[in-house]
Amino acid sequence: MRAVVKDGVGVFHPQGFLDGNSSASLLSIEDIEATIKLNADMVLVSLKKVIFFNRNGLDTFVKLFQKVRAANHIIVGFCDYDTKKYKTIMKFYNDELMFSLFKTQEIATLFAASFKNQSKNVLLYSDDKSQRAAMAIELHDNGHNPIVAQTQEEFDEKSKADNAYDIIIDDTFLGQMGQKVATRVTGNAIIYTVSSFLDAEIGNTFNIAYHNNSLNVGFRLFIFDAYKVVSMNVHALNFFSKLASSAAEYNATICFVGMTFEKTPLSFKETLEDAGIMFFEQMDDILGDKELLEELGASSAAAIKSKRMLNKEIVTEIPNFIDATVATIEMMTNSQALKEAVKMDKIEIENKENKIASSIGFYGDIDGMVILVFPQGIAKKACELLIGESTDDKELILDTLAELVNIVGGKVKTLLSDEGIHVDITLPRTYPNVDSLLEIAQDKKGVQVDLNFNNDNFLFFLTR
Amino acid sequence: MITQEKIDAFIEKIPPSPKALRETIFALNAGELPKAAKAAKEDRALSAYLKDLVNKPIYGFRSEVSDVAQIFGILGVSRSQQAVYNYMITLLSPAKWQLFKLNKNSFNDLQAELSVAWQKILQHLNIDDKELESAISLLPASIIVSEALFCQKINDVKLLRSVHNIDFNTILQRLCEMDLFDICERIAQKWEMDARIEQIIQAASGVKPAEDADINKLGQWMHLLLFFTLSKAEFIEAGLNDFIDFQIEYVADIYDEFASVMEIE
Repeated sequence: MRAVVKDGVGVFHPQGFLDGNSSASLLSIEDIEATIKLNADMVLVSLKKVIFFNRNGLDTFVKLFQKVRAANHIIVGFCDYDTKKYKTIMKFYNDELMFSLFKTQEIATLFAASFKNQSKNVLLYSDDKSQRAAMAIELHDNGHNPIVAQTQEEFDEKSKADNAYDIIIDDTFLGQMGQKVATRVTGNAIIYTVSSFLDAEIGNTFNIAYHNNSLNVGFRLFIFDAYKVVSMNVHALNFFSKLASSAAEYNATICFVGMTFEKTPLSFKETLEDAGIMFFEQMDDILGDKELLEELGASSAAAIKSKRMLNKEIVTEIPNFIDATVATIEMMTNSQALKEAVKMDKIEIENKENKIASSIGFYGDIDGMVILVFPQGIAKKACELLIGESTDDKELILDTLAELVNIVGGKVKTLLSDEGIHVDITLPRTYPNVDSLLEIAQDKKGVQVDLNFNNDNFLFFLTR
Repeated sequence: MITQEKIDAFIEKIPPSPKALRETIFALNAGELPKAAKAAKEDRALSAYLKDLVNKPIYGFRSEVSDVAQIFGILGVSRSQQAVYNYMITLLSPAKWQLFKLNKNSFNDLQAELSVAWQKILQHLNIDDKELESAISLLPASIIVSEALFCQKINDVKLLRSVHNIDFNTILQRLCEMDLFDICERIAQKWEMDARIEQIIQAASGVKPAEDADINKLGQWMHLLLFFTLSKAEFIEAGLNDFIDFQIEYVADIYDEFASVMEIE
């Protein structure tokens, strides 16, 4: 069984009865290795569809948690259970609870620093005083407003109030929390989370290849969530200065949020500001300010010195890229694709109305990026399969589109690896209209394939 | 990926039940075991299947049973009928399983485990109705249908499921507005099975409760039994654990009773 990954959170969904035999069969050694390599910020096991479990059944997953934590230092635990199951798990693992327990997946995401749902009013209660404090601190750090009930009575009383809180947390336990340079995307900003002491080690933990490819794909705003940073030394200072100058080549902006300079020399801040890094006190100062966000995150033509051309390695793999795209869209929309025209030049989009686009980068043995331009109808149809209903919510459509492009990227990865070519993929970036796409892509040369799905034109563009 | 035409073609390809089988079922319906045995013997594959089935450890017979008349005698009318239906379902199963890691043997194991447990449940519920006893035989047909429809697209489905927790039944429902259990119903109709069997199978999907309270109850038990069985190591390894969505709320009120019948500690 493999975890389903969304927004950096990997979730396993076992069903039915979990005992020693069954859960051992659910997780093979390859599954465990795949989970470690997921690069997720949180790994959870949902107990929503589990009607029965015993200690042996959970142990298999707890062993997985230990391995994942040891390798990646991320949050691991169970979620989606009722009070009865919660009490049972607490009884099973009384003193040795190294993992976390989240009553629902929604509660878990509050602790995952996703910034997707920020500034929630959260009522919380735990009969353990230190747990109450730990949860309140974590929630506050992640930009929420925790209200802590001190007694069960107070909690019962407060939780009765209708609509007073966005989320109510009980039956939840925080095990060891993660400390990874986590990555996530909100809107079109990439957020990295850094914590504790920033020193020479940042050069190892920060995924520079990923960062560079995100730049290449068109991300222009990078935010370092530094609320939990205690101090920074000169090695880290050098690292961030270099990062800032490489970002400048792409007209990209790097921001620090929540960084205090109590234990870091104030001169560091000046040096970083000289390098072009911006500082904000609150995440909301950027994410809450739509205009600023648009200005900083807007795709802008990169003044890249050396224009990168498609090379032979990539050109020979073009059929794989097209197959992956066509197969995925055909699957998601249940329609047949007709190839209409292939040309090698700059991207050319005839009818710009009612189109949305997405790009995804790949890097490794070969590198480049795939741009897909969708008529809204196709995007909507694909959404129907994933969310089960038709929608006109543009944000939801763009979100689902990102998921779809992620599937295409995954498929490209598998097809290439069958031929011994290993690549990684970046997060997909979405564009609400053609103009915003053209800002980064209009000067790039590449291979354009026009496809036709149900009389709707769909465009595939491969470039570097 | 999967279209209504593909489903129609699949249903079209379901063979009508062979003559010998129909005669066997007919005789069993009338309670005439010797006549049924005589008819069954004419179908060599059926005889071999029955022999293989009753000699599985789960039936617990000490010495090998090989004569069809003897097998029917031991099983009694309703379980014989169930066994013949089970055989009919295997006629649909693919020569080589690709989507699920099953083979002829493990699929027969699944049928046998479901049948024996279903028997226990009906006894517990004090139900003595041979048509209802046979209802369980149609349930594995949903697995065969998934295999048949999705095997060509294994990798695509795997990728889709790696980013979204979505089961085969829901995928099919959203793509074609027809789900696995609707197709099972069509199979039952084609084979002229009792109409209540179709209803119980639909209820056993967990998403389409029956209007009739008794039928719905059986659907609940069957849904839970399916997941109880699919939680066994052998079937988890076959990839069956999440082929449809387990509706835990649908079975919540019978769980304790189920646990005591199945002796779950």
